[in-house]
Amino acid sequence: MRYVLERIAFSLFALFILIFITFLLSHVVPGDPAIAAAGPNAGAEKIQLVRESMGLDKPFHVQFLVYGAKVLAGDFGTSWFTHQPIADDIMRELPPSLELVVMAMLINLLISFPIGLVAARYHGSNFDNAVRVVAIAGAGVPIFWTAILLQQKLAADWQLFPVAGRLSFANRDFEGATGFYILDSLVQMRLDVFADLMMHIFLPALALSLLFTAVGVRITRTAMISEFRKDYVVMARAKGASEARIMFRHVFRNGATPSLTVFGMQFGWMLGATVLVEEIFGRPGIGRYAIKAVTQSDIHAVVGVVLVVGLVFVISNMAIDIILYAINPRKTRED
Amino acid sequence: MPNSPSPTGNAERNAILKLEGVCVALAASRKTMVRNISFSVRPGEIFGLAGESGSGKTLLMRTIFGLHDDAFVEKGRMTFKNTEFSSSEHRRRVRKLLGREIGFVPQDPFSSLNPTMRIGRQIREALYLGKGISPKSAEAGKTTLELLKEVGISEPATAVGQYPDQFSGGMRQRIVIAIALSQEPSILVADEPTTALDAYTQRRIINLIIERSRNRNLAVILISHNLELLRKNVDRIAVMYGGQLFNILASDEIGSSASHPYTEALFKCIPRKDMNLADIQSIPGEPLSAGYGAAGCAFSSRCGLRRDICDTSEIPVNASLEQEFDACLVRAGRRP
Amino acid sequence: MLVLAVIGPYVAPFDPLAIDFRNRLAEPSLTHILGTDGSGRDVLSRILYGAKLTILSTVTVIATVLVFGCILGIFSAFVGGTVDNFLMRIADVWLGFPPLILALGFAAALGSSLEAAIMALIFSWWPTYARLSRMITVDILSKKFVASANALGVSTFRKVTHYVLPNAFDVLIIQVTLDISAVMLAISGLSFIGVGAQVPAPEWGAMIAEGRSFTSKGWWIVTFPGLAIFITAMSFNLIGDMLRRELDPTLITRQ
Repeated sequence: MRYVLERIAFSLFALFILIFITFLLSHVVPGDPAIAAAGPNAGAEKIQLVRESMGLDKPFHVQFLVYGAKVLAGDFGTSWFTHQPIADDIMRELPPSLELVVMAMLINLLISFPIGLVAARYHGSNFDNAVRVVAIAGAGVPIFWTAILLQQKLAADWQLFPVAGRLSFANRDFEGATGFYILDSLVQMRLDVFADLMMHIFLPALALSLLFTAVGVRITRTAMISEFRKDYVVMARAKGASEARIMFRHVFRNGATPSLTVFGMQFGWMLGATVLVEEIFGRPGIGRYAIKAVTQSDIHAVVGVVLVVGLVFVISNMAIDIILYAINPRKTRED
Repeated sequence: MPNSPSPTGNAERNAILKLEGVCVALAASRKTMVRNISFSVRPGEIFGLAGESGSGKTLLMRTIFGLHDDAFVEKGRMTFKNTEFSSSEHRRRVRKLLGREIGFVPQDPFSSLNPTMRIGRQIREALYLGKGISPKSAEAGKTTLELLKEVGISEPATAVGQYPDQFSGGMRQRIVIAIALSQEPSILVADEPTTALDAYTQRRIINLIIERSRNRNLAVILISHNLELLRKNVDRIAVMYGGQLFNILASDEIGSSASHPYTEALFKCIPRKDMNLADIQSIPGEPLSAGYGAAGCAFSSRCGLRRDICDTSEIPVNASLEQEFDACLVRAGRRP
Repeated sequence: MLVLAVIGPYVAPFDPLAIDFRNRLAEPSLTHILGTDGSGRDVLSRILYGAKLTILSTVTVIATVLVFGCILGIFSAFVGGTVDNFLMRIADVWLGFPPLILALGFAAALGSSLEAAIMALIFSWWPTYARLSRMITVDILSKKFVASANALGVSTFRKVTHYVLPNAFDVLIIQVTLDISAVMLAISGLSFIGVGAQVPAPEWGAMIAEGRSFTSKGWWIVTFPGLAIFITAMSFNLIGDMLRRELDPTLITRQ
C-alpha cells in the first residue's frame, strides 16, 4: 500500500512539473504572450486589453497559480483556428490517436515478446545474433520515412490497403458512443465497419510501431537472457520441466516484469510520435491536430496537446507500475 | 544396452553411476574443458567432488545430467543404473531421467527458487512432473506439507502460500532440498549447497542432506571446494584440478600416502584445530582453470615433486574404475 | 560520417539549391546519380550538403546537453541531500515525457526554424546526462580512494577533473553514440513536420517532406534522403553497441 501511495505522490509531482513546463511554454518562452495572443494585427490598446484579460499584469507566481487552476479545471483556452474550446478539440481527436497507439503497441508486443524470448533461449546462436543486429539497426529507422514508403508500396502501388483516412467514404456517417470506433463497431455488431477500420489502421500502426518494436525486442531479449542465467532455470530442468514449460511458466513471467515498465513508457512516446504518422495517412488525431496548431501558430492548442500527451504518459506509467505491484509485490520491491 | 558386462569387480557392476573417460566441451567454442574423467558411485554412497573454483566440477556435473546447453559430453560413456549413455545424443537421452532419478541442489539458494511462484506451487510442480500427481489433488497438498516438515520447515501450512523472498538463505536451501527429494530420486547432486550460508546453517544443511541420504538409501554427490567439510562428511572424495581428475580416496586417507600431491597441498591450506598458524600453507602460483590444453599434469608448474615426466607424459586415467586412484606421474613411477 | 559532413559540400557535383525546371524529376542517371527532385535539384548534392546541416545540428544538441547535463548532475551529486533528491526527481519526470511532443511545444513557442528545433531538443534531452553523470559521480565519491583524497584535502574542483571525469568518460561516450541516432531522428522528424529546418534547406527530413508530393512520380526523391538518415543513425547505433561491448559490459547505461 505504501508503494502505491508513493507512486501516486510521484505522479502528482510529475503532473505539477508538466503544468509548470507548459506554463513556461505558453507564458514565458514566446516573449510577450499578450502580443501573440492578440494576433498579428492588433494595436497597442488591444494588446493592453488582452494583457489584462489574461492576467499578465499580475506577478509571476500569481499567473502560474491562475494558469494551474484553469488547466486542472479542464480549461485550456480557445483555439483560434477551430474556434472551439481546445479541451473539446482534444477530446474529439484523442480517441483515434489512442486507437492507433494501442494497435501499434499490440504489434510491438506480439513481435517483441516471442522474438526476445526465443533469441534469449538460443543466446549466442545465429538467430540470436541476427535478431540483435536487426534490432540495433531498426532503432535507426525514421518513422515518417517508413510510413511514406509503406503507403506508396502497399497502398498506392499494390492497393492492398486504403491509402489514407480512418474509414471508407461509404462508412463516413458511422458514429459511436465512445469515439473509439473499433470498440463502437464491435458493440454495434457492425463487422463491416470493424473490418474497414482495421484495414485503415494497419499500415499507420505498423509504421508507427517499427522503431519501438526494434527497441522492444532488444529490451525483452536482454531481460530474458538475464533470467535464463538464473539457477531456478537449472532447478526447473532438474525437476524434469520441458523447455517449453521453462520458457513460458518460469522465465517469461520473471523477464516480462522489467520489460513492461519500458513498454509503459513507450506508450507515451508512441502517442507523441503520432505527429509523424497521422498527417501522412490523413488520419484524424491529436498528432495531426498538433501539426495544424503549430503551422497556425496556435500556441495554446499545441500546449494543450503537450498537456494531454503528458497526462496520458503519467497515467499509463503509474498504471503499469501499480499493476505490476498488484500482480507481484515482491518482484517489484526486489527490482 | 542394459546389463552390459563390466570388466571390473562386483562393486562396479552395481554402481549407480559410472563415468568412463568422459570429456566435456563448451558448446560455443567447442573447447574441451574437462578431460578423461572416470569414477563410479555406489548406491547410498556419499561421494565428495573437490576442487578449486574453475576446476570443472560444476561444469562436469551439470553437463552429464543435461542441466544446461552451454556444454556437451564430447567423449566417453556414462552408465546410470545399468543404462548406458554414449556421447552421441547424450543430452537428449539423459534429460528423460530428469524429474525422476536425479535430484539437484544448486549453489545459490537466492536464485534457485522462482521468485514469482509460491513455494507450494514449486513443490507441487515437482510432484506433478516427477510422479504425475495432479497439482490440485489432496495428495499433492498432503505430500507437500510432509516434505516441508521432513526438511525442517516449522510451519509448512504457512510456508506453502509464501514467496521465496520471505525465507532466509538456510530456509530456502531446505525448500530446494525438499523439491529435490520430492521426486524420490536415486541420486542427489548438491553443488556447493552451503557456500552462500553462515557456518552454523552450513552444518545443519549438511547434516540434513546426510540424514536424508541414510534414511532413503540415496546416493549423494556433494560438490565443494572445502576439503575439510568433505573429509568430515563423505565416504570417498574425488579431487579435480584444471579439468583433470587427480585423485580418488577414502576421506580418512587424506594426508596419507594415498593422496596426490595436490590433495595434500589443498589439505594443508585448511586451518584446523590441531595446527599452528605456521602450519597453514598456501599453494604457490595461480590455480589453472579447466580447459588446460597442454600435455601433462595441469598442476606441474605449482608442484613440489615436479619431474620432467610431468610435462611430457599424459597423466594416468582411472580406466578400470578403481575405488581409489592417484594420477600423480611421479608417485606412479615410485610405486611397486 | 563526420568526414562526409565536412567534405560533403566540396564533392557535391551540383549546387543543392540550383533550380532547373528542364531537368525536374529526372531518374537516377550518370549525371544525376540519385536523380533530381520536383524542382530539378540534384538529390545527391542535396544529401551531401544536408549531411553537414543534419550532423552539425545533432552535434550541437548533444554537445550542449552533455556539458549542461554533466554540470548539473555532478553538482547535484556533490551537494547531495534534498537539492539532489529534488533535481533528480525533476529529471526523472522530464526524461519520461515524449521528447518529440515537448520539442513540438517549444518549436511552437519559439517559432519554426532549425535553431528553434535545436533549442527544443536541448531543452528536452538534458535529463539523460544529468542523471547519468550524477549516478557515476555518486558511485565514484563512495570509493575508498576518494576518502583518502578527502583526508589529503583535495579540492572539489580537482576531484571533479581528476577522479570523476576520467571515470565517467567511458559511460558518457557510449551514451553519446547511442543518443546521436535518436537526436538525429528527432531533428529530421521535426523538420519533416515543418517545425525544424525550413524548405528549401537541404535538411534530410525537410527533403522528405518536400518530396512527399512526388512519391508516385519519383521514388528516389523520398527514398534516398530517408536512406541517408537510416544508414547514419544505424551506423551510430552499431558503433554504440560495439563500444558498449568493448569498453565495459557492466557499466550502467540506459537500455
